[in-house]
Amino acid sequence: MDRSDFVPLGFGVGLRRPHYASIVEAHPPMDWFEVISENFMVEGGRPLQVLEDVRAHYPIVMHGVSQSIGSTDPLNLTYLYALRAAVRRFEPAWVSDHLCWSGVGGHNLHDLLPLPYTEETVRHVVGRIRQVQDILERTILIENVSSYIAFRCSRLDEWEFLSAVAQEADCAILLDINNIFVSAFNHHFDPVRYIDAVPAGRVVQFHLAGHSDHGTYLLDSHDHPICPQVWALYEHAVCRFGRIPTLIEWDNNIPEFEVLAAVAAEARRRCGSGHRL
Amino acid sequence: MNLRALQDLLYQRITAPHGAADAQGDRCGLSPSVVDTHGDERLSAAERVGIYADAYFFRLLDCLGEEFPATLAVLGPDNFAALVKGYLLVYPPAEPSILYAGRYLADFLSNHPFAERWPFIAELARLERAVLDVFHAADAPVLGVEALRAVPPEEWPALKLRTHPAVKIVHTEWRLGDVLQAVEQGRKWSDPEHQDASVLVWRQHALVYYRSLERLERDALVIVSKGASFAVICDAVAAGAEETNHVALIGRLIARWLADGIIAATDAVPVTTMRDPLCGA
Repeated sequence: MDRSDFVPLGFGVGLRRPHYASIVEAHPPMDWFEVISENFMVEGGRPLQVLEDVRAHYPIVMHGVSQSIGSTDPLNLTYLYALRAAVRRFEPAWVSDHLCWSGVGGHNLHDLLPLPYTEETVRHVVGRIRQVQDILERTILIENVSSYIAFRCSRLDEWEFLSAVAQEADCAILLDINNIFVSAFNHHFDPVRYIDAVPAGRVVQFHLAGHSDHGTYLLDSHDHPICPQVWALYEHAVCRFGRIPTLIEWDNNIPEFEVLAAVAAEARRRCGSGHRL
Repeated sequence: MNLRALQDLLYQRITAPHGAADAQGDRCGLSPSVVDTHGDERLSAAERVGIYADAYFFRLLDCLGEEFPATLAVLGPDNFAALVKGYLLVYPPAEPSILYAGRYLADFLSNHPFAERWPFIAELARLERAVLDVFHAADAPVLGVEALRAVPPEEWPALKLRTHPAVKIVHTEWRLGDVLQAVEQGRKWSDPEHQDASVLVWRQHALVYYRSLERLERDALVIVSKGASFAVICDAVAAGAEETNHVALIGRLIARWLADGIIAATDAVPVTTMRDPLCGA
């Protein structure tokens, strides 16, 4: 991968339906927007018109949730060609999806499920990422997911698995700081150790989000403010990876746009004053 | 266990008929040989799988509730949840976008016991699905009044008209528009009248509208939806009309269709509007 392909976009937020009207009308200050790819892989109508307008005023990146890169089903070429068409139309700064599987047997769980961390899975996923990159004609980003189960057959730590896949597939990493925190709680590992082990040259974007505390586990619900521990991890990550583009995710109980913009501004502030844990 | 077998097994457990409940206890089939709990006392392997089972069901329940608000309002939350539970067993999502998860809900409802208590419910769901389909239907140039006026009169009989891709006609035996409107406006709904009342659903300026169609206009639009010459459309309207002034009648219909933007531009007619402008966002 060539890092110069990934421009320093700054601090962005997700483009979500409740904010369409105000963004199209006022074009508020924001460095960039991340869009859920599948929401715009439709034939026509308002979402595409909104995205055309947003794209004319801001940089965007496309973030998928259904590539199912770790599934044992064949890659969905219809989906990938539709994604490629959307990429050509809207020219995002980059395209990302998750290091996970979402379905099998032709069915879709509409969720992001973890993989067993083995050399065999690394080989399986690497081959598929290379295929996707060939079809999309670009380097993609893969994101670490939150998880609630781990597999007895795993032989690698999650960070070793993520690093091996990214290195061997020659792709970039979208590092979700909240997902690391959630999974660290759910699986009893040190989140700092995770961040310190990921290859610095491959991380080109951060995600920040809130989660919900269910007592016995944390849920990556994207419906709360970012907690202090995740902010602290973010500052640590900035020290390790630099001031790379950061995206605030908020998908449920979505607040006013101004609230999201304030969180993005807070990320910018912390980016300038980060310190290692 | 190889990756395929592992994914098949997890898929089965997550989508089990009773979801999280089936994922609890011994029936999970995943513990302790597959799922590693790291000796965690907080959550068993089955409970961990149950988190995914809950997420699967409730994510789709929320999504379908947003796409079928009137169906949800008529059935009530508990019945709607039971409906979705049964629906997902018969029609599990198979497409990358969750937008299509409810594609077959109306078909499923037509043979569901709820259709005995609420005989209009399947058609109501079909109408709600049509609204969503029209919202995302393909963009295309629409035929405008000025463009039509520019066509020389002698060319009108052969002029081909076709409905815009973002137009659907839903044939129903109930006046469902009233239910849909009541739910949209947060009003109390009442059982619709049993009456032949097809509904036109269309998109204009990126917003979706619907209205009931009288028989004459419905029959004419069905012909237009397949693509027909102006002469054929006029003959059909004249044959079905009680009104004797056919010219005035056809003029009113065409004027309304053009005003609503439901006729697609054709090669024979210059385009006046290349696409819906973004307004009313």
